[in-house]
Amino acid sequence: MELRYYIIRRFLILIPTLFGLVLLTFILLRAIPTSDLIASFISQKATAQERVIEKQQAIAYLGLNQPLPVQFLYYLNDIIHGNLGVMYTSFYTGPVMGGIERFLPYTLELSIATVILSILIAIPLGTYIGARPNSPSDAIGRIFSLGVYAMPIFWLALLAQIIFGKNIGIFGSYGLPISGEGYPTTTKVPWIVNNVSEPTHMLFVDALLHGNLTIAYSAFIHLILPVGVLTLSILAGLLRFIRAGMVDTANQEFVKTARAKGVPEKLVLRRHVRKNALLPSVTVIGLLMAGLLGGVVVIEYVFQLRGMGRLTLATITGLNIQFYGVAGTVLFFGIILMITNLIVDVVYAFLDPRIRY
Amino acid sequence: MITQEENVKEISASKPYIVVKDLVTQFFTSKGIVKALDKVSFEIYPGEIYGLVGESGCGKSVTSTSIMDLIPDPPGRIMGGEIYIDSFNILSDLRSLAKIRIKSETEVKIKRSKRANKRHNEILSQIRGNKISMIFQEPFLALNPTMRIGDQIMESILLHNILSISDGIIKRHNLNSNDLDKFMKNLNGENDHLKRKKIINNFVSEFGIQEFEESLNSLIENSTDDSYVKTEIINMVQENKKNIDMKLISEIREYYYYKNQLFQLTLEEIQAERTGETAIRNQKHEQIKALRRYINNKYFVLRMKLRLAEKHYMAPFRKEARRRAIELLSLVNIAGPEIVVDSYPHELSGGMQQRAMIAMALASNPKMLIADEPTTALDVTTQAQILEIIKDLNELIGMGVLFITHDLAVIAEMCDRVGVMYAGNLVEETSTTEIFNDPKHPYTVGLMNSVPRADRKREKEIRLDTIPGTVPNLITPPSGCRFHPRCKFAMDICSLKKPKLVEISPQHKVACFLYSDESEVD
Ligand code: SF4
Repeated sequence: MELRYYIIRRFLILIPTLFGLVLLTFILLRAIPTSDLIASFISQKATAQERVIEKQQAIAYLGLNQPLPVQFLYYLNDIIHGNLGVMYTSFYTGPVMGGIERFLPYTLELSIATVILSILIAIPLGTYIGARPNSPSDAIGRIFSLGVYAMPIFWLALLAQIIFGKNIGIFGSYGLPISGEGYPTTTKVPWIVNNVSEPTHMLFVDALLHGNLTIAYSAFIHLILPVGVLTLSILAGLLRFIRAGMVDTANQEFVKTARAKGVPEKLVLRRHVRKNALLPSVTVIGLLMAGLLGGVVVIEYVFQLRGMGRLTLATITGLNIQFYGVAGTVLFFGIILMITNLIVDVVYAFLDPRIRY
Repeated sequence: MITQEENVKEISASKPYIVVKDLVTQFFTSKGIVKALDKVSFEIYPGEIYGLVGESGCGKSVTSTSIMDLIPDPPGRIMGGEIYIDSFNILSDLRSLAKIRIKSETEVKIKRSKRANKRHNEILSQIRGNKISMIFQEPFLALNPTMRIGDQIMESILLHNILSISDGIIKRHNLNSNDLDKFMKNLNGENDHLKRKKIINNFVSEFGIQEFEESLNSLIENSTDDSYVKTEIINMVQENKKNIDMKLISEIREYYYYKNQLFQLTLEEIQAERTGETAIRNQKHEQIKALRRYINNKYFVLRMKLRLAEKHYMAPFRKEARRRAIELLSLVNIAGPEIVVDSYPHELSGGMQQRAMIAMALASNPKMLIADEPTTALDVTTQAQILEIIKDLNELIGMGVLFITHDLAVIAEMCDRVGVMYAGNLVEETSTTEIFNDPKHPYTVGLMNSVPRADRKREKEIRLDTIPGTVPNLITPPSGCRFHPRCKFAMDICSLKKPKLVEISPQHKVACFLYSDESEVD
């Protein structure tokens, strides 16, 4: 079947998946005891009688007295209208949706930069190593991969800070920023202050688009260490995988055919081995994205960055668990994953003509 | 029968296209050294179908893979011997490729020389697919799953035929009214319909405008006005000339021409190396270096262009190659070649895939095709069709075939001569008729008896007379004649010495002490 139809079908599958995701977050919401949530609606100074009334009001307000399916419909309705509830934390207070709008772009910027960087490094390096199994470069690659793979990401991050960090690392005051300090705040960015266009909401990209190099530079140097650490952590697995793919493909019959045709060795690798070897890695990139989102939470915390990861963390580390915050962030992480998988599938179908059912 | 004999004589009079001499191929595994081939020698003449037959694991596929020098390394290596393809010994630089120290069966140190291997591969890439092609047992695995059939065939065509394609394009470009006048004169001087067609055919193929053959035919049929026909032809060609940058074409042609020169020089260098003429070798070496530098400098931009946007810059060549790919596909009886050319391998049936493989193998008119069990993975009807195509190609264009199979029925149907292999040795070699009527080697006799035969069936005499014992382990092969543990006629000498393959009657060679005392001197 044609690629077009496959992509359309793949898009249609998104709808039930999305529904499932919403259902899941709803169940999640209802699985935690609601007493905390109700308690937050009751003022401390009220008398016992008033409390009973307030409790009743809260239950009615929250819709908890309705049967579950009806509650779900309310929930669905809220989501469709972009109403994800409100959260109160020291990190951020306000509607959950607003919080996500504000913090998501930063995380996206981090993740996209990481994915691009790791693909750019992993493909040439992985194919290079994979074309020379059991050579010294392969051995170095293996040691690197296993070494990095074995290190927890926060530890890697700390290591990076200690080595490259501003004032503490080997570069002294020329080192890279290790916290959000010096990051252009919203009040200093002209296009946010003046409320003109923010095409991507990602500071670095927007700065480039507006031609403001000072801000772009500042945003850029704040990205280097976090992106570097995240890339390292992804690269470890990805390199191994591409290498395995190369070795595997190099032993396939069609590579022998290519040689039998008289294709020069370099072209055998470039034309016949590489593409087929990268196919399985495309799927892995999708899976790594899930790991990446986990890594982002840690990285944002270690580097004191204001992104979705911190927002998520804030919902569960405060005095009270922020139900709506949890549900909202989980929903958005889910959506990001779904979109990544969609992109991965489409790219895969584009590369592999066999995938058109 | 008479014709067959004549045929054999005629064949032996010419020079062999492939000569395999004392070929030794081994595999270094963790369990020990597998002596897969132990001094195998045979010759294949142009235009004949030579069959290699034997049980699985007897080394017939290793032999064919060795001829293409496609033994996977590691674990395998050709350790000695000579393989001449069209009089060039592809193993002449064998010794410089690697230093091998064998400490024990399981401990082998191989130090490959990067430079020698690079040169070796460069030479082989000019020979493989050009002078000799190969098709494999499982076409589905042998085709690149992510490349269109047409692209895979075109790749083969473009690898070896850039010069002839560019000549065609240049010729077409320079087509002038003189050529047309000559063509019209030839045509008008001929009244016979078929001969006229032939002239047109020659004309279009000479100027590389085959795609206009049809329209030209009808144009000439329907018009008597010479000048009108001429302007029409000019218009057609003009249409074709559009978007073709002739400067680029001749530059590419030149680049490939120099690359060919480089190849020739390298061959000469290796030749000199082998004969020990150091002075000549050094001289060639300097020439190669100078030419390489010259090419690298002069065509740096072109190479960058080709590297970055090959599809774009090679477009006229690709168009030409595509036309040839379609031609090749119809040559191997594929229906709807225009559609198949854009298909992916998984969209075709097994038989179609094998046909596409054959088309690919034919891309640069090789004189020899190695068919490594090409029908084993196919169903019976398809098998017959593929065999027929191979046979046809052999008869039509005189392509020699090395046919590898374990199926004696296929041998009987296809081959002119047969070599029987057992445990890495060639034990008998003779014509197909003789091998069935008068097998000599005890192993061959056993092999023949293990197949039910139509003529015996009538006599109710079917015996599946299998040979006792099993194929020996080639890490520790039996001493002397490798067949002796299973041989009914084994004598004392059999386990001590290895029988030599000797000619016991014209065109019949056997390696067995029952027929000759000659042994191989180790
Ligand atoms: S050489 Fe001896 S063992 Fe070998 S086949 Fe002949 S008789 Fe049998």
